[in-house]
Amino acid sequence: MTAQIKNVGKSFGSFRALQQINLDINEGEFVAILGPSGCGKTTLLRLLAGFDSPTSGEVVMKNQVVADEMSFLPPEKRNIGMVFQSFALWPHMNVRDHIRFPLKHHQFLSEDLKKGMDFRVDEVLKMVDMYHLGERMPSELSGGQKQRVALARAIAPKPALLLMDEPLSSLDAELRMSMRKEIQQLHQLTGASIVYVTHDQSEALAMADKIVVMNKGKIEQVGTPKEIYSSPTSPFVASFVGKANLIQGKWEGNVFYPFHQQSIKWDGTAVTEELRRANLFPARPEQLEISFREAGIKGVITNVQYQGKEIHYTVTIKEEQWVIHQDLDDMFSIGEEVYIHLKESQTRTEKKQLHFV
Amino acid sequence: MLQSFVHRVQQQNKWWFLMGALFVVIFFVVPIFRLVFLSFSSEGGLTFENYTSVLQDRSTWKTIENTLYVVVGSSIIAIILGIMTAWVVAYTNIRQKKLIQLFIFLPFIIPSYITTLAWTQFMSKNGFFAHLLSLLPGSLEPLNMYSLHGIIIVMGLSHYPLVYLLTVGVLRKIPRDLEYAARVSGASKWRSFKNITLPLALPGIASGGFLAFIASLDNFGIPAFLGIPGNIRVLSTYIYEQIVGLGPNSFERAATLSVILGFIALTGTFIQWLLLKKSKNNETAVEDKEPRFLFSKRKRLTIELLLWSFLLLTTMVPLISMLSASLIKAYGLPFAPENISLKNYQFVLLENQKAITSLKNSANLAIITTIFCLVIGTGIAYIRTKKPSILSKGLEMIIGIPYALPGTVLALAMIFAWMEPIPGWNPGIYGSIMILLIAYVTRFLILQVRGSITAFMQVDSSIEEAARVSGSNGFFKWKKVLLPLIIPGVISGALLVFLTALTELTVSSLLWSSGTETIGLVIFNFEQAGYSTYSTAFSCIVVLFILLAFFMLAILQKLWDRRVLHHDRTN
Repeated sequence: MTAQIKNVGKSFGSFRALQQINLDINEGEFVAILGPSGCGKTTLLRLLAGFDSPTSGEVVMKNQVVADEMSFLPPEKRNIGMVFQSFALWPHMNVRDHIRFPLKHHQFLSEDLKKGMDFRVDEVLKMVDMYHLGERMPSELSGGQKQRVALARAIAPKPALLLMDEPLSSLDAELRMSMRKEIQQLHQLTGASIVYVTHDQSEALAMADKIVVMNKGKIEQVGTPKEIYSSPTSPFVASFVGKANLIQGKWEGNVFYPFHQQSIKWDGTAVTEELRRANLFPARPEQLEISFREAGIKGVITNVQYQGKEIHYTVTIKEEQWVIHQDLDDMFSIGEEVYIHLKESQTRTEKKQLHFV
Repeated sequence: MLQSFVHRVQQQNKWWFLMGALFVVIFFVVPIFRLVFLSFSSEGGLTFENYTSVLQDRSTWKTIENTLYVVVGSSIIAIILGIMTAWVVAYTNIRQKKLIQLFIFLPFIIPSYITTLAWTQFMSKNGFFAHLLSLLPGSLEPLNMYSLHGIIIVMGLSHYPLVYLLTVGVLRKIPRDLEYAARVSGASKWRSFKNITLPLALPGIASGGFLAFIASLDNFGIPAFLGIPGNIRVLSTYIYEQIVGLGPNSFERAATLSVILGFIALTGTFIQWLLLKKSKNNETAVEDKEPRFLFSKRKRLTIELLLWSFLLLTTMVPLISMLSASLIKAYGLPFAPENISLKNYQFVLLENQKAITSLKNSANLAIITTIFCLVIGTGIAYIRTKKPSILSKGLEMIIGIPYALPGTVLALAMIFAWMEPIPGWNPGIYGSIMILLIAYVTRFLILQVRGSITAFMQVDSSIEEAARVSGSNGFFKWKKVLLPLIIPGVISGALLVFLTALTELTVSSLLWSSGTETIGLVIFNFEQAGYSTYSTAFSCIVVLFILLAFFMLAILQKLWDRRVLHHDRTN
């Protein structure tokens, strides 16, 4: 195991930024910490890096306690690499110097790397496709190139744990997509354990082996991207990751009666025990369907957003507003009275998936 | 491994904390405490006697009245000039703004007693201004500078750069959309300025005004040069005369007056700090330097002409008058080719022993003060920016007190603290050059702390963190990453400390002794003794040196930008 967080809490004055955090980071694992701003995800990352110390609990790396409530090892004494949100490139050093710096100073460098420092610089530069720009200064690089240098600097000393603090959030949308691929490739190439902090659920779903969803300083759920997306165990995860509509009603076994209407039965085999106990059914926008067929839940279309491949509808049912994504086959317009059903096919495939899990 | 490492760090931290606390208490807290203590003590023990006797004295009230006139009058001049210049530079499309800014800062860079000397020469009976007036019809006389309004004018002109500095930043940070929104809503240019821009800029302007107010209270050079000959006293010169006069109870009286003056100054500083904090609340992050008022060519030229004549008349012309006075063989002779010589320069640089010693003393003091401040101040700035806490905030505040206190007050506190650091034991610090060094370091340390804080603020914390996760926290982090990035800012702070210490007058005038004269003091003594030709010559040398130093700094910073930060290749 690369790192372990045991019962960690962190308070700033009376504000409890982290409470009762337990997390294992396995060898070679890509762990994404996902949550809205202020949920404590960056605090957790800074505890792993050693820029902050926990108020309670322990941080363990490679079977050695690196931080507890009494004391902690500073970052330069930990076997880590880090990519910062702002890239944190040194404005007075060229690309090559950036990569050489950790090779000169990192305290966990293997003998091979120490001997072949220049070779390693070239190797890493080629890995991030920056070999031809080695002499450039940070001010002469584009956003994506800066990001590559920041990545290269972090992986150069082959740290046991690579920490990434929203590394893509200062790039534009298109570049973000292509950098995702590059980070995935680097992960495969280096086999490093990665802890990746983000507030973008699609980034986490796309790249991580394991997602940790955090909210208000606590871990809400830990699981594979698929588990997190299709089997959320808390209303927060369902709405934050899957953008699900949280529908109230009554559960009877695997059957859900939305709004306690006995006439409508939804098959809720895939819904987790935790949400059933809260009398909720998490229906993601693509799981619902709008039609004029009666025998669904009656509602009125109040907003229509055309998206090209699909349309995002907002339907008002009683006091609530549901978001539903539907293809372009049938189009509805604002003010129309419609009926909402749970899509049959989707529930069935999910039932199957759940058996495999 | 973890335990031993942590133990060591904690032990080190304890040591540093103890050392720092001791340093602050001995050099910053004790002197002020002793001053306050003395003001309440008499032979019979603790009393209010000193206060009652000082406040019953008629001359005290006359002094307070004069001080009030001078401080309020000069602050009003400073505020009006400051706002006007700031508005023109921040918002209009005039050209050469950088050069204009340089000229605005000139009275700020040159010590105020030299500016005063320049003005007295400019306004003297056979000076430049008198010539100009004689060309006009009627029998106009130049202004008598040795008067209250003379003091007020020179002080106002010396302090308006403070108001300008604080206002121009505030004006630029007010989003232009706010004023545009008022215009779109139907308000005229003037109304939108009056109802939108001015209220938003007010905290910044008021804070600048208070800064001018404190600076006027503190100023010693101007009232000393202009007021003492005409028997016009303000609080700072009154305290000086008490100490130098060595009358009965003079130290207690001076201490009492100092506590009163110090209290007013610190209250002013506190209000100024509150206002500044308030003005920072409603500002956006970036300064918008694009002009907002685009004048036609003709209008622009008029404004430029007005502004430049004001700037040249208030800076260059007095300095040139001073230069011409210094080149004349004997005082009173007209400025004509046959009367010009370098003999005054020869005298102050080669013949007069006091002047030569003072050059050496001031240079030594300035260099050692700068080195001390550079190391300690940058260290404190680092702690202040990287580990902001109540403790470090308090540290910055305490270190700022000696600078916020008027120089005469600080000098008096220094005498009491170092004459007998432990009652009954006089190590001879007072009376040697050491007392000047200690006073300079305590007074100017805050300048370096602020300069270095600005430098550190410009380096994002992740820049340092990146060096740490790369495995480096000690020597190499500083050498390779932090120092190259902070050096330009740190050096400009150090230059400010160096020049301020080099030309210091107020503190030295009370702490000097035979053999430890400083440049400021020698110029003061020449002027008091009526040797205007020598004092002007010496002042010209100082001004030349200051301008040279700034010129070198500008070149160094350009080179640093190019060589180390490679900024020229960006575009």
